[in-house]
Amino acid sequence: MPAMGASPLMPFQRIELDGVAAAVQEQFGSGISLERGSRGVVLAIHLKEPNVLADLSKALFWDVGCSFGGLIVEEHADRWRLCYLFLARGSGWVEVVLEVPATVQAVPSISAGVHAADWFEREAEDLFGLRFEGHPRLGDFILHDQIWPEGVAPHRKPQRKSVNVHQMQFRRRPNPDWRPLLVVQDPGSFAMPVGPVYEGGIGESLHFMLETVGEDVLRAVPRLFYKFRAVEKIAEGQGVSDVLLLAERFAATSSFAHSLAFSLAVERICSLEVPKRATNLRVLLAELERLRHHAGAITGICESTALAVAASQAAIIEEELLRASCKFAGHRYLFGLNTPGGLRRDFVSRDFETLIGAVDRAIEDLRELEDRLHFTSSFLDRLEDVGVVDPSKARDLNLVGPVGRASGRGHDLRRECPYGGYDSYTFETPREAEGDGYARLRVLFQEAYASAGLIHQSIERMEPGPVVALCESFIPGAALGWAEAPIGAALHWIRLDESGIVERYRAITPSFNNWLGFHAAVEDFAFQDFPIILATFGLSATECDR
Amino acid sequence: MIDAWIGGALALFFILCACGLVLSAATRGVYSLRAFVVFSAACSILMMFSSAVALASGHSFAIDLWRLNGWGRLSIRLDMLSAIFLFAAGLVYLPASLFVRNLVEVRFRGRYPTRRYGVLHFALMASVVLILVASDAPLFLISWECMSLLCYFLVNYEQSARMDVRAGYIMLVMSEAGFLAVVVAFLILGRGTPDWSFSSLAGMAEHLSGGAVWGVFLLGFLGFGVKAGLVPVNFWLPRCYTAAPAVFVPVLAGVTLNLGFYGILRLDAQLMSNHSLGTGLFALITGSITALVGILYATTENDLKKMLAHSSIENAGIIVAAVGASLVFHASGYAVAAAIALTAALYHMVNHSVYKTLLFQGVGEVEAATRTREMDRLGGLARLLPGLSVVFLVGCLSISAIPPFNGFVSEWLTLQSLLRSAVLLSSAVKILFALCGACLALTAALAVTCFVKVYAMSFLGIRRGDWRKVPGKAGRTQFPLAYLAVACLLLGILPTYVIPVLNRAVEPLAGASAAASLVPPFFTATPENQQLPPAFVNDFHNLGAQTGRHVLPGRGLVVMVRGSEKNPVVFAMSTSYSFVALAIFLFVTWFIATRSSRQRSVTRHELWAGGIPRLLPEMTYTATGFSNPVRVVFQAIFRPNIVEDSRETVAVHFRTAILRRRDETHLVDRLLLHPVGEAVGWLARLLAEMHHGRLNAYVTYTLAFLLIILVLFRLS
Amino acid sequence: MSFWFWHGLKKGVRSTHYPRKFESAAGVSPGRPVATEFDSATEAVLAAANCPVDAIVARGSAAEVKLERCIYCQHCHYGNPHLLEWNSDYEWTMAALGPGKYQPLPGAYHRSLHVMVVDAGDCGACLHEVKQLNNPLYNMHRLGIFLTATPRFADVLLVVGPVSENMRVPLLKTYEAMPTPKRILAVGACAINGGVFGRAFMSAGGAASVLPVDLLVPGDPPPPLAILHALLAVTGRKNPVAQMASLEGNS
Repeated sequence: MPAMGASPLMPFQRIELDGVAAAVQEQFGSGISLERGSRGVVLAIHLKEPNVLADLSKALFWDVGCSFGGLIVEEHADRWRLCYLFLARGSGWVEVVLEVPATVQAVPSISAGVHAADWFEREAEDLFGLRFEGHPRLGDFILHDQIWPEGVAPHRKPQRKSVNVHQMQFRRRPNPDWRPLLVVQDPGSFAMPVGPVYEGGIGESLHFMLETVGEDVLRAVPRLFYKFRAVEKIAEGQGVSDVLLLAERFAATSSFAHSLAFSLAVERICSLEVPKRATNLRVLLAELERLRHHAGAITGICESTALAVAASQAAIIEEELLRASCKFAGHRYLFGLNTPGGLRRDFVSRDFETLIGAVDRAIEDLRELEDRLHFTSSFLDRLEDVGVVDPSKARDLNLVGPVGRASGRGHDLRRECPYGGYDSYTFETPREAEGDGYARLRVLFQEAYASAGLIHQSIERMEPGPVVALCESFIPGAALGWAEAPIGAALHWIRLDESGIVERYRAITPSFNNWLGFHAAVEDFAFQDFPIILATFGLSATECDR
Repeated sequence: MIDAWIGGALALFFILCACGLVLSAATRGVYSLRAFVVFSAACSILMMFSSAVALASGHSFAIDLWRLNGWGRLSIRLDMLSAIFLFAAGLVYLPASLFVRNLVEVRFRGRYPTRRYGVLHFALMASVVLILVASDAPLFLISWECMSLLCYFLVNYEQSARMDVRAGYIMLVMSEAGFLAVVVAFLILGRGTPDWSFSSLAGMAEHLSGGAVWGVFLLGFLGFGVKAGLVPVNFWLPRCYTAAPAVFVPVLAGVTLNLGFYGILRLDAQLMSNHSLGTGLFALITGSITALVGILYATTENDLKKMLAHSSIENAGIIVAAVGASLVFHASGYAVAAAIALTAALYHMVNHSVYKTLLFQGVGEVEAATRTREMDRLGGLARLLPGLSVVFLVGCLSISAIPPFNGFVSEWLTLQSLLRSAVLLSSAVKILFALCGACLALTAALAVTCFVKVYAMSFLGIRRGDWRKVPGKAGRTQFPLAYLAVACLLLGILPTYVIPVLNRAVEPLAGASAAASLVPPFFTATPENQQLPPAFVNDFHNLGAQTGRHVLPGRGLVVMVRGSEKNPVVFAMSTSYSFVALAIFLFVTWFIATRSSRQRSVTRHELWAGGIPRLLPEMTYTATGFSNPVRVVFQAIFRPNIVEDSRETVAVHFRTAILRRRDETHLVDRLLLHPVGEAVGWLARLLAEMHHGRLNAYVTYTLAFLLIILVLFRLS
Repeated sequence: MSFWFWHGLKKGVRSTHYPRKFESAAGVSPGRPVATEFDSATEAVLAAANCPVDAIVARGSAAEVKLERCIYCQHCHYGNPHLLEWNSDYEWTMAALGPGKYQPLPGAYHRSLHVMVVDAGDCGACLHEVKQLNNPLYNMHRLGIFLTATPRFADVLLVVGPVSENMRVPLLKTYEAMPTPKRILAVGACAINGGVFGRAFMSAGGAASVLPVDLLVPGDPPPPLAILHALLAVTGRKNPVAQMASLEGNS
C-alpha cells in the first residue's frame, strides 16, 4: 500500500523473478518447491501442504507486490488442482499450485489476505462444491439461492453439459425463505432492487440492491450471473476450433481480445510460431477494437449524464468505427479472424488506407469532443468526485484496465507482461490519481489516442508474408494465454488432450475482477449518480458471467 | 319557545348523562356496554340538537343557576360561539361513542372494563358541556378542572405500561399549570369586579392598563394553549396521545383540544376586545411556528398515533394563526378581514375535529387488527381492510387539504385571510404576515407529503411486518367512520352553507359579517346584490356561478375573497361545482373504461418487479425512507445524532453490518424542557448543599442574614 | 452550453433514409452467405462440411444456406477453397412459423411501436446493435419506434441471447406483464437456436423454447438495419422474407 502522502502514481517497477523466488523460499522454504515454468507461466510454486497457502498468497500480494490474476480449479480423476495466478510485474506469471486428493472437500481460503480472490473462491464453491475454509460469505453467487437448491455443483465432471437444467428435477419455484443479505441495519432501511431487466431496456441483465434509508444510497451490491451460460462447461470435450468460436462470442464487445488470448494459449501448447505479419495485424485489430470500445464507453458516459448532443456525436463516432471494422475485416465486431497460429485472412494495402482514414477521422472527432466536454461544467460537475476509488483500494481489490489506471494502477498487460509483439511497440499507458468518474473518462480518451498511434505503427511496419502458421498436431498439456482486453486483463487457460480436445477451459475476465471492486465506488452516494458511476466503470456483465 | 327547546334539550342531556353514568356503573358485561353506547349516543345527539337549534334561530339561551357565596351567581349561557363548539363536540362524540363498541368487541371481546370507563366518560361529557355553556368564571373554572382530572384518569385508563402513566402525569402537571395561569388571568381581569360573570368581566377589561392586557392575554393564551397544543407548552401532547387508549384518543383530539381554542377565543377575543396589534401578532407567530414544528415532526414520525398527535399540533397552529390574524385585523380596524380570518379559524377547528377523529379511529382499527402502529412494519392494509382503507383515504385527503374535501376550504380561507394583510399599513407587520403565510404554505405542502406517506406506507404496497391479522369481526360496522367521512365531504362541498352559520358566532366577535363578503348572493338577481358592482356579478354569472339557482336554497355556491379598492384582486373558488365536475368526470371515465374493455380478457400474473423472481418486503420503500428527504432538508431543526458503526468478519472487505442509529430530541424538549429541567436540578443541588453544611457555615448564614435585615431596616 | 446546440446543428442530418431508400454505405452490414452453385456435388458437400453449425446444406451441386443457424464464423467467406457467395443486403427477417404465417400488428401501431428489449444472456453484440438504432445514423424514433423500460407499455418483446437459466424467470415475467396484442422478436443466432451455446447445460437454446416467437432476425449479430427491418415487419410496413423454412432442426 502506498504510504500516506506519497504520490499514488509510483513509477513502473519491475519485480524480478529471482527476488520472488528468494522471498518465498526464505519464508516458506520447507513447504514449497519451485519450478521454472513453461507455457506462459514463468514460475510455478508447488505447495506440499495446503496450510501455507494463505500466508504465501498474502506474502506474494502484499510483500512482494504481485497482482492477483485469478484462480483456476481443475478436477482430475484423483485430485483437485488449484492454481492461483499472480503477476510479477515485468517478469511474467507466477502460479501457486495446490493439489489435494479428490476426496478432500475443503481447502483454505486466501480471501482474508488477498481480497481480490473473494469472488474467485465463491465461484469455485458454487460451481465445484469445493468449500473454502475461512471464507465468510460462500454461496448465493452464480447459482442464486433464490431459485437454486443447495448442493448443485454444475462444473463437476459427472454433470453432463448437454442436459439443460430445466429438464432436471430441481425446484423451479422461488424459494420463499430466501432473504437478501442486507448489511445496512437501520430501522427503516431497505434495499431498492434495480434490475435484472431495466435501464430503458437496453442495459445488460444485472441486478443491484441499493441499500438506503431514503435519499442517499449507503451501499450497492451487484447480483450478477443472470447471464451465466456455463461457457467453460460447454467448452469441455469440444475441439479447439469450436471453443475458439465460444471464446469469441461470450463477450462480443471485446471478442478479438478474448479470441487472441485463447489463440495465444493454444499456440503456447503447440509451440506455434506466429508469422510476423499476423502479429502486426493482431495488434492492429486489437487496438481497433479498443478504440471502438472506448468510443462506446464514452458514449455511455455522455448518455448517463443526459448530455444528448455529446452522446449522439460519440455514438456516431462509434458507429463509424463499427462500419470501418466491417469494411476492413468483414464483421462489425471482428468475429472470425483469429485462429491458432495467426489470422484466417489477409488484407491488402488499400484496406489499410481506408481503415487509417476512418481511424484518423474518429480520432479527430474524439479530440473535438474531448475539448468540448472539458468546457462543459454541468457535465464535469456530475463526473468529478463521483464514484471515487482511491489507489490503495484499487490495489487492494486488484482493479484492472482503464478503471484501475484511473485509480493510479499501472496494470497493463501489454507493458507489464508483453504478448503478441507489443514489446516492440512504443505507446503510453495513461494513468490518473484521482480515481473518480472524470479520471476514468480522461483515461478512456487517452487510451483511444494511444490505440490510434499503435494502429499507425502496426501499418507502418507491415511487411509481406504469410498470416497463419498451421498447426500440425496437438501436444497434450495446459497453457495460459493473456491479452489486455479493452476493459482490462483477460486470461484464458486451457488444457488439451492429445487429440486436441479441450479438457478444461478457463476464462478469467477483467469485468469479473472489476465487478468485485465495484462496491468500493458505490458507498454513500446520491441515487442519481448511480447510472453515472456504472457508466464510468464501463463494465460488461456478459464478460463477467460467461 | 326556542328557549324551551334549547333548555329542555340541555336539561335532558344532563339527565341522560347522569342515567348513563349510573347505568354503566351498575350493570355488567354486555349490558353495561349497551347502556354506555345508547346513552352516550343520545347525549351527543342532544348536544348537536341544542346547539343546532341555537345556531339556526340565532337565539342565545341563558339561565341563572344558584348563587355561590362571594363569587356571584352561577349562570349558563349558550351563545353562538358556545353553540359552534358544542355542535362540533356532539359531532365527534357520536361516532366516538359508537366506536367504543366497535373496538371493545374486536380488541377485547368483552374483556374491556367498560364500567369504570363509562363513569369517567359521562362525567367528562357533562364537564365539557358545562365548560362550553358556563357564562361565569367560577363555573367555567370548576368544570375546567374537572375536565382536566377526568382526562388524566381516562388517559391512564389502560395503564398497561409505566410510560403511559408517566405520560398522563405530565399531562396532568401541564394542565394544572395552565389552569393556574388561567385562574391568575381571570383574577387580574376581574380585580374589583362586582360579580364574576363573563359580561361584567368584559366590562372590566376596558379599564385594564396596557401591561395588564398583555399579562392577561399571555397567561390566558399559554394557559389555554396547553390544551390546544401550542408551542412551547405542548410537549405533553404526543406522549399522552400515544399512551391514551384508542377509544379515548378521538375525544382528546376532537373535543378537549377544541376547548383550548374555546378558552382562547372566550378570554382573549371576546372578553378582551381592546387588544394591541402586538398580542395578535404574538398569536399569529406562535401559531405559524406551532404549525411548522408540528408538521415537521409528524412527517418524520413513523408511529401512526404519534404522527397524528403531531399533526394535531400542526392543525392547532393553523387555527391559532388564523385567530392571531383576526386579532391583528381587529386591532387595525379591518372588521371584515378580521371576520374572515375568524371564520377560517372556526371552520378549520370544526374540520380538524371531524377528520382527526376519523383518522384516530382508523388507526385504532388498524392497531386492533394488526397489533402494531409502526408504519415501517405495516403495508398492504388496503387488501386486508378494504372498507377502512377507503374512509381512511378520505381522512387523509381532507387533512392534506385536497379539494373537494373540507380541509381544503378552511386552509384556503386561512391563507386567503393572511393574503389580505396587503391592506395593513405597517410594512413590518406585512412582512411578518408574509413570513407566517409562507410558513403555513410550507406546512400545507408538508402535510401532503406526510399523509401520502401515511396512506402509502400503511395501506398500499406489500406487508412488511411479521404481524398477523387478528381474527375477529374487524370493523363490524363501519358506520362511525363512514359518518365522519361523509361529514368531511359535506363540510367540503357545502362551504357556502357552513360559512353563514359560523358567521353568527363571528359577527359579534369581529363586529362585521364575513358571510356578506365571503359568500356573495349569486343566486339572487343582480340588483339585489348591493355590495357587488353589476358588471362584476355579470362576469361571474357568465362563468356559471349561478348554476343551480332555482333548484337550491341559499346564497350561492362560490366562496370568494375580494381585495380592497387599492388592490382589486379577487380569489374565488367553488368546491361544490368542482365536486360535481369531478364526479361527472370520474363517472364518464369509469363508463368509458368499462364499455371499452368489455371484450378484453384480463389475465393476472405475478408482479413484474423488474424481473426478479419475487418482490420481498425488504425491497419496498419504508416510511423512514419516504420521509428522509424532509429529515435531510430540515436537519438544522431536527439536529439528529447519527451514530454509524461498521462490523466485519475476517477483514474490512467482508462487512457484515453497517449499524446506524439516529437519536433525536424534540425541538421543544431540547430548547425548553431540558434547560429548564437542568436549571431546576442545579437549583435543587445548590439548596441540598446548603442543607449539608457545617455548623460554622450555618452560623455565618444566620449572621449574614441578620446583618442584611439590620441594614435594610436602617435604610428604610 | 449553447455551443453543444450549435455543434449539433453544424454536423447536419446524418440519418439514413432506409425504409424509403436502400442504405448502401459501406460497413452497415456484414452481408450474408447465399445459395451457391458449385461445379460438382462433392464440392458442395465439402463447402457444407466447412460450416461448424450445419447452416449450409448441400443439395445436388448447390449449397443452400439456412441463415437462421449462421453464426458468422466466416468459414465460408475466406480461408478455404470452397467458398460461398456473399451478398451485402440486410433485409432478412423471417417469420418463425414459416413464410406467410406472420400476422402483423394492426395499423394503429404503424407510427407508435414500443419495444421492450430483454437481454437473456446475450454476448453484448446484439444488444449493442439494438442500441445503435438509437444513434443519429439510424434514429428509429423517426419511424415511430421507441424503446420502453417497462413491459406495460410494450408492444414488441425483443429477445437477445440464448435464454440463460437465470434469465428464464425474468424473461417469462416480462412477457406475461405485456398487454396483448404483442409480438416477439428473436434477434441473433443465439436467440433463435442458442447459437454457439446451443441447447446446453445453462442455456435454453433460444427464445423459441420458452416463448411463442413471431419473427426471427438471423445474424451474429444482425446489423442495426436488419433489426430495423424486423421492427418494420412487425407492423407490416415491410414483409418478412419468404425464404428459409422453420426451426425444425431445433425441435
